[in-house]
Amino acid sequence: MPSNIPITPSTLSVKDLPWQIDWNKDKCTLCGQCTAVCPVQAIELGVFRKRALDMSPGFTKPPESTMQIYYGIRQKTDPAYICVGCAMCNLVCPNGAITPCSSDEADKLVFHRDRGGLPRSRGGRRNVAGTVLDQIKFIRISMLTDPALDAGRHEFEIRTLLGRVLPPEENLKFIRQNGWIPPVREIYPLMIGGMSFGALSPNMWEGIQMGVAYLNEEMGMPVRISTGEGGCPPRLLRSRFLKYVILQIASGYFGWDEIIHALPEMKEDPCAIEIKYGQGAKPGDGGLLMWYKVNRLIAAIRGVPIGVSLPSPPTHQTQYSIEESVAKMIQSMAMAWGFRVPVYPKISGTSTALAVLNNLTRNPFAGGLGIDGEDGGTGAAYNISMNHMGYPIASNIRDAYLGLVTAGMQNEIPLIAGGGIGKSGNLAANAAALIMLGASGIQIGKYIMQAAAGCLGSESDRCNICNIGQCPKGITSQDPRLYRRLDPEQVAQRVVDVFLSFDTELKKIIAPLGRSTSLPVGMSDALGINDYHISERLSINYVV
Amino acid sequence: MENNIITISGKTGGLRLDSRILEERIQEAIAGGYRHLTIQAYGQHGIGGRLWRAGNDPVHVKVEGHSGQRLGSLGFPNTVIEIDGPASDDVGWLNAGAQIVVHGHAGNGACNAMAQGKVFVGGNIGSRGMTMTKQNPRFAPPELWVLGSVGDYFGEFMAGGIAVVCGVHPQDPDNILGYRPLVGMVGGKVFFRGPHHGFSQADARISPIEPADWDWLISNLELFLGRIGRIELLSELANADAWQRITARTPKEKTLRQQRSLASFRADVWDKELGKGGLIGDLVSFDRSPIPLIPTGGLRRYVPMWENRKYKSPCEAECPTGIPVHDRWRLVREGRVDEAVNLALSYTPFPATVCGYLCPNPCMQACTRQTHGMASVDIARLGKASISAGLPQLPEISGKSIGIIGAGPAGLSVAWQLRLKGHDVTVFDTSASLGGKIASVIPESRIPEAVVTAELERIRKAIAHVHLQQRLERADFERLQADYDYMVIAVGAQKPRTLPVPGKDMTITAMDFLIQSKAGNLSPGKQVVIIGAGNVGCDVATEAKRLGADAITLIDVQEPASFGKERQDAEAAGAVFRWPCFTREITSEGVVLTTGETIPADRVVISIGDAPDLGFLSEEIMTDKGFIQVNAHYQTAVPTVFAIGDAVKPGLLTDAIGSGRKAAFAILKLIEGEPIEMDLRPAIETRRVSLEYFDPRIVEFKDVDTCGSQCSSCGACRDCGICTAVCPQAAIRRMEIIPAGYEYKVDENRCIGCGFCAGACPCGVWNLVENQPME
Repeated sequence: MPSNIPITPSTLSVKDLPWQIDWNKDKCTLCGQCTAVCPVQAIELGVFRKRALDMSPGFTKPPESTMQIYYGIRQKTDPAYICVGCAMCNLVCPNGAITPCSSDEADKLVFHRDRGGLPRSRGGRRNVAGTVLDQIKFIRISMLTDPALDAGRHEFEIRTLLGRVLPPEENLKFIRQNGWIPPVREIYPLMIGGMSFGALSPNMWEGIQMGVAYLNEEMGMPVRISTGEGGCPPRLLRSRFLKYVILQIASGYFGWDEIIHALPEMKEDPCAIEIKYGQGAKPGDGGLLMWYKVNRLIAAIRGVPIGVSLPSPPTHQTQYSIEESVAKMIQSMAMAWGFRVPVYPKISGTSTALAVLNNLTRNPFAGGLGIDGEDGGTGAAYNISMNHMGYPIASNIRDAYLGLVTAGMQNEIPLIAGGGIGKSGNLAANAAALIMLGASGIQIGKYIMQAAAGCLGSESDRCNICNIGQCPKGITSQDPRLYRRLDPEQVAQRVVDVFLSFDTELKKIIAPLGRSTSLPVGMSDALGINDYHISERLSINYVV
Repeated sequence: MENNIITISGKTGGLRLDSRILEERIQEAIAGGYRHLTIQAYGQHGIGGRLWRAGNDPVHVKVEGHSGQRLGSLGFPNTVIEIDGPASDDVGWLNAGAQIVVHGHAGNGACNAMAQGKVFVGGNIGSRGMTMTKQNPRFAPPELWVLGSVGDYFGEFMAGGIAVVCGVHPQDPDNILGYRPLVGMVGGKVFFRGPHHGFSQADARISPIEPADWDWLISNLELFLGRIGRIELLSELANADAWQRITARTPKEKTLRQQRSLASFRADVWDKELGKGGLIGDLVSFDRSPIPLIPTGGLRRYVPMWENRKYKSPCEAECPTGIPVHDRWRLVREGRVDEAVNLALSYTPFPATVCGYLCPNPCMQACTRQTHGMASVDIARLGKASISAGLPQLPEISGKSIGIIGAGPAGLSVAWQLRLKGHDVTVFDTSASLGGKIASVIPESRIPEAVVTAELERIRKAIAHVHLQQRLERADFERLQADYDYMVIAVGAQKPRTLPVPGKDMTITAMDFLIQSKAGNLSPGKQVVIIGAGNVGCDVATEAKRLGADAITLIDVQEPASFGKERQDAEAAGAVFRWPCFTREITSEGVVLTTGETIPADRVVISIGDAPDLGFLSEEIMTDKGFIQVNAHYQTAVPTVFAIGDAVKPGLLTDAIGSGRKAAFAILKLIEGEPIEMDLRPAIETRRVSLEYFDPRIVEFKDVDTCGSQCSSCGACRDCGICTAVCPQAAIRRMEIIPAGYEYKVDENRCIGCGFCAGACPCGVWNLVENQPME
């Protein structure tokens, strides 16, 4: 006998799901907003039959059984329509009648997310709350031992250098011998990391870029933003705003022919070129922009046909060794802009980061090294890559910095740290900790999505559906019906707010150190932690 | 008053006095009644402050030489301090009322934290002057007068008091207010005269000098110039136009953003540099402006579709004859029971015989109600009622001629359909009566003979030309092919298949067994073995029991395919089903299996199916394993020859009737010269149907009206209006269609795509689909 609820090994109850819809019949006005807004159609109007039994005390009347029909919101259990906990239903409900609740036990869906033998992939983050960075304290409060600075009153010049900083004698030698020294940019230490046009919606991308331009032109903050690997809109390439942009090149080379074609018409050089070798969120794996996101616009910017899936392979095809690949790529990119633009590679956090860094020290064209730790975010990755692969940024950046110290080259090759910075909301504290561990610059992505656009993702696997193009906030969708929910102007305003408040908070941390003009890169005597093993591992103070 | 004048030296015996000692001597002098003190200073700290021991007596302190830091600090209102030359850092620090006159320059931190009193400086001051000053409401505000300029970071955190900077011989002629003045200013005011390089716009602003301000300034200016001995400058400084005033912004003003709005930046900077439409204005032309979360119209992500009859109901889809069963129940609901009864006749000539009695009713097996364990709507009840259905009005014969070989259910079905459309049909059969298996093989236990008779009579009235007891040979067939426009072969499968094993002659075929048992001239004995345990085998078993057998065994090489009523009847007859059993031979003892076992039998019946007897067919008509090969329209290799029923593929009576109907449809289309478009609509997914509207406690249907009301009308609108009622946007309206009919329409400018209509629809007609993609 066929049944509407066939029992299969993967038949799940609502209780088995990670999120349960708590719907209140008394409050619900049946307005339809929740089902209309749900990004994954996890809820629908249900028809319910209710039976009432009418028994009279003393058996004065014969017992009666009556039926009533009522309507309400029903949660689906088909894994194709699983509630992702985004709570958009709750957002739109006029009566507060509906909300998703996180399951009170480990969900059973996790065992069934491999239909057809395909392991789960998703967007978002690692789903592990907190980082070591959150535990680090700033213990050097030198109000009297260093010139006392007031974060609010003093003037700070918070800047960092991007590009190869040669020692003075080397610089002189270079000038004498080559008539050339490596280009160096003085920029704001907090950067926006690579999120591609495609991974992000047009409105989101424009909003962030607009915010960055505002910070530069109205607030005098030289904030820089990486394009990610999705090309760069032709207008931006031909505008003066290009100088605020770090062009990323990665294994898919998307949009690079458009960039080449724009070279003769560029008013400004880009800030830098970032060669992406790895991503913290999915170390060792590539990307895939699904065909349904590749519309006419994305196709135009990336220089590809419409409606095809776009893989970025895990590796660059023409590169076979560190020596060969780094040298070749850096040369090519530097050459494109007449050696006027710093070029640096970005890798995912890895136990082999020092080998890469070691190689870069011998290459005067290498403008820095970006390391993206395990807590980085992504629009799409296999669960396994996101949750279980990668290297935490704190010790990776620390090892790299101390490696440079050993070589006597600290601050000559700027280290740029990324991956989960501010994931618990402590952006300035995390950034300052990384700077004092040795990073010259910090890249953020998810933080911007959350703070500037209201991304609903969390470390408890909430939402995390960037990969399916149904972002309820319009951040990672290419569907105008979704991304028009996002106003670029408001995103830009939030980007500005984030950077201004970060700036104040960073000052609050570094002012007591007496630093107002030079960033306390590697100033690890200012750091402490109440975990002995971590303190030993990071060579910072153990404080209790 | 010579008595109260004293000079105190900061040196004794050539040695500089400690600040503590000098302070002791000054305090002693005050305590001793001295009120005019001249201090010869050598850099001692804090001279002139804290002279409260003098009570309300004015005290004049004249400082000669170098004052130390914090001259007049913690000063009292009774005290006037005057220093001929410059003053060191922090003059007037935390001044609580003293008047301090500095004829030279003053160092850094002048008046820091001053709360009351006045400080007059005849030169410039260093950095961080007038910082953290405040005004206590109990007292007059503190004042700092500077003839020249002030140093960097002037007025930081100034919370009250008045500073006047005259700009005469400033240290930097281009900037009399120094670098970054007035950061954190929250109160007080600053009058100044001369150029500056800006001040903290976040905290302070230039505001017009009010007449009262000017009156105060001009009168006190005279006092100031008098005190520093530069009254000659009064006329130069008395030009109101040269003065400006800075006041603190109010907390309310400070919360207002002092930055350019993003809207202005976007319009005047961003779009101006990039071009109209911003970042991608050159690549897209559509509107990207903000929209609400719950939009209507084209911006809805999902849209409802009224998919009335887009899908077949499961009953219709599963009926091999193709009867739209749910439509019959609709007619019942509409009170048109007669029409419901008659409707079947346009699909089958055997609505009572087959639907009411002999059919296993795939429609009921497929009934959506079964998915929730509810009783299927009982079609057999309506089927039985169909016995009363009268012969439809037949059109005049005007069409083509069609010869049909076989007057079984398939042949009569195709004949019936074609006759209803006005074509001239002729039926040939070998037997003496119409009906094929229905009439000859089906046991009477399963259907009253009167029913079959009545329906055959109805058919007979429709079909004029019937040639019975006609055995055709190949030449006959070829002649008929020439005589008729179309031929339909519906000879059934009458030739029983036998087993190629020793002793097969000792067996009887199921067909013969059933014919003879129905005729009443068979005695099967006590032990019967039936080889082949399908439904026909089951019929044999049931008949054997009726005729006295008490040990009946059905064997099969695989799990028996029998089902339904036949199987139940056989089981009720005590028949034993065994499998897998392979027959080696048949002996007088019974059936010997390949295992060596002998199943004893008085009678062995072979019931392994039948094959058509196709000896008369011409070779152009292709066959496969003894059955005629046809395409989806039951057309053979010869386009004008069709084959249907068991001659093509063994099946149920309803399969045979259905094949006749489909072949008739194809022939009609060929005659009309139209393409043969079959109804390929799939069945509706049962999950779309809401069974919650029905009472699961109804376990049997008392009458056809109950059947009608409990049918969920899957896939076909029942016009209940629930969608209109449930739509939260009042977006659904029922529209009459002229001349007859209706449809439900969505006003897309009201609809939000919530899908409530789809969720509530009892029939599953409404569907929520993705809106057209937008670029």
